[in-house]
Amino acid sequence: MARHECDVLIVGGGITAAMVSEKLSELRPSWKIIVVEAGKRLFDFDRRFDYRQRNLDYGENQWPGDFVADQGGRGIISRSMAVGGSALHFGGVCNRFSEEDTRLRSLYGLATDWPIEWKDLEAHYCEAEKRIGVSGEPGPLKEDSRSQPYPMPAMTMTYNLIQLKSWAEKSGIPFWTTPQAKNTVDGYGGRSRCHRCNTCEVCPTGARYSPDWTYKQLLTKKKIELHDQTLVRKLVLDEHTPRVVAAQAVKEDGSDPNVEYRAKTFVVASGYCWSSHLLLLSANARFPRGLANTSDHVGRYMTGHLAHETRIDLDLKIYPGMNEQHSLISRQFFRCAPDRPFVRHDLRVWEAPSGGPRLRDANGTVLLGDDLVADWRTRIVRGSARVRGYFDVHPDKDSRLTLDPANKNKWGDPLPIIEHRVDAATEARQAATLQHFQELFAQLARANDGKVGRTSSLGYQDHPSGGCRMGADPSTSVVNPFGRTHDHDNLFVVGSPTQPTGGCTNATLTFVALALRSTTEVAKG
Amino acid sequence: MNRRDLLKSLAAAATLPALTASDLVAQTTDFTPAQIATLRALAEVVLPSSLGPDGRDDAVRRFVTWVRGYKPGADRGHGYGNSQLSAPTGPSPAARYPTQFDGLDTAAKARGGATFAALTLVARRAVVEAALNDPQRVTQMPARPNGANLVADFMGLYFNGADARDVAYNAAIGRDTCRGLDDSDKAPRPLKAH
Repeated sequence: MARHECDVLIVGGGITAAMVSEKLSELRPSWKIIVVEAGKRLFDFDRRFDYRQRNLDYGENQWPGDFVADQGGRGIISRSMAVGGSALHFGGVCNRFSEEDTRLRSLYGLATDWPIEWKDLEAHYCEAEKRIGVSGEPGPLKEDSRSQPYPMPAMTMTYNLIQLKSWAEKSGIPFWTTPQAKNTVDGYGGRSRCHRCNTCEVCPTGARYSPDWTYKQLLTKKKIELHDQTLVRKLVLDEHTPRVVAAQAVKEDGSDPNVEYRAKTFVVASGYCWSSHLLLLSANARFPRGLANTSDHVGRYMTGHLAHETRIDLDLKIYPGMNEQHSLISRQFFRCAPDRPFVRHDLRVWEAPSGGPRLRDANGTVLLGDDLVADWRTRIVRGSARVRGYFDVHPDKDSRLTLDPANKNKWGDPLPIIEHRVDAATEARQAATLQHFQELFAQLARANDGKVGRTSSLGYQDHPSGGCRMGADPSTSVVNPFGRTHDHDNLFVVGSPTQPTGGCTNATLTFVALALRSTTEVAKG
Repeated sequence: MNRRDLLKSLAAAATLPALTASDLVAQTTDFTPAQIATLRALAEVVLPSSLGPDGRDDAVRRFVTWVRGYKPGADRGHGYGNSQLSAPTGPSPAARYPTQFDGLDTAAKARGGATFAALTLVARRAVVEAALNDPQRVTQMPARPNGANLVADFMGLYFNGADARDVAYNAAIGRDTCRGLDDSDKAPRPLKAH
């Protein structure tokens, strides 16, 4: 039985934990910080070209072994479980939410307000962008003003994006490029400049931020200890007080089924799924519904956002494949006039192939060689854009993560089920939201003799968050505005679980900013 | 990885060695010389003529290399937003090819040729079309070779690849190549004529 003592134990080894441990090691250099992660450390950067190639050629996992086989569940649950977490795979898009996200109740009478001021969050966005290394250009809307410039210049717009921007703006909607956690200059954060490999989910050159960079730097400088392949199963309270005194864990390889961590402060940084899961698993006689769960809000208000998407054929010549990950964004629809029907969303435009090779023509005749190429060319004369908007949906209280007694891991712990459910107001406006998007797609198409394809809708809530929402009122939230649990003063939950609502654009930068804000509080002890 | 190592690995990844016909056979222990000859004859029928002999040999080499490099039971990870792990890769498609190579030769004999490779281009085309219709009508090229139909597998590996897209667009897009950001704001240059 191994026993470890530290000042701060961080449970989880993803991007949130990376940022918290980095900042905490700066604020409290004398503290002993241990990061515990159930998955492996995949620090074999020199093999990423091989992994990328195997993925392109054979569809093999570009992050081999980045999961724990029996640590799954039901619902939208990312299987990525390794040092770096889901951010190993992320495309690097670093959009911010907007002030409206934090004031939904005040502005629109919907969902809830966040218990923090936008100005405060904005300052932490700047910090997150510096730590991750974000390249971007400021948008033209005054509502999106920034207190600091992006750390790096924006990613070069490809020829394709230049054409698409020219088209899209004819509709009267301003577009610019998405900010990216990718180097546009050499050396930022020790990483190389983007080589435009077109496989950002596994960046073989290290231009795209990945948390393993942070962990490796912290380990080299001996700022933290990293215990990988160690699954924390339960947090244990002091016998007489509500303070957490220990975390009980197992080595995933079975070499030690009784690992114990004792710490002054515990930080759960296990993402939107496993954070609530651990609190629920830690139920005891005094907290029978789980730790931090006096309010019965742990695992509730699970959230995210939905999307509508289409393809628009355009009278444009583009060359798909120049940089398929990079896109345009308009934030014009982040704002919704309070006297208008509520719909908030981002709007993204990507290059897209307008037609691919086919074996038979419309009559069923086999196409070979030059005939096949000639047929293909007839279908790529016009360009194509992929257009998608993530839109704001709000969770019902019963949008939940619960424990599934019928599905257990090898240690006998019930695994999570996540059942997303939107609130009644969201449900009531679904048809109007769809109509809004269809009209918007048509408006874009009209700007260039375009033809709108079928509108498809995302069947699940993307960029999930929630489950331990923050709030000032302990009866309706799990943590305070800094991530400190209402029930246990030395237990924090940080990052995506604390979001009361899921916004209408990619969420990584937001939950990193929230976690950095929490870290200042963690450092107070 | 420092910049020098990075550039070295980028160059290694991007460069394919020049290939001779004998190299082709020598590298393919699991394809017989006759099968390689069949693939080369097949390439003449199903690939764009603009590739020329070198380009076709390269496509054959890629197919052979792909088959040789296939790993049954490999980790395929997990789809985005999917709580289930993807099933590992299945058995190698290679085991299903010998009878299909034989089938092409058998069809060739029915047309008076000694082998598929010995047929005229027109006759080979007829055999290929028959192979795509019988015993099962193939409607599309697989995303990756799966062994179900040798001809479709060979075509799919090429036409779904970045090189074929460049041919279709007559532009050096280089979708799967690490290309750097410089000049990406300009249209890709046209392909050089063979």
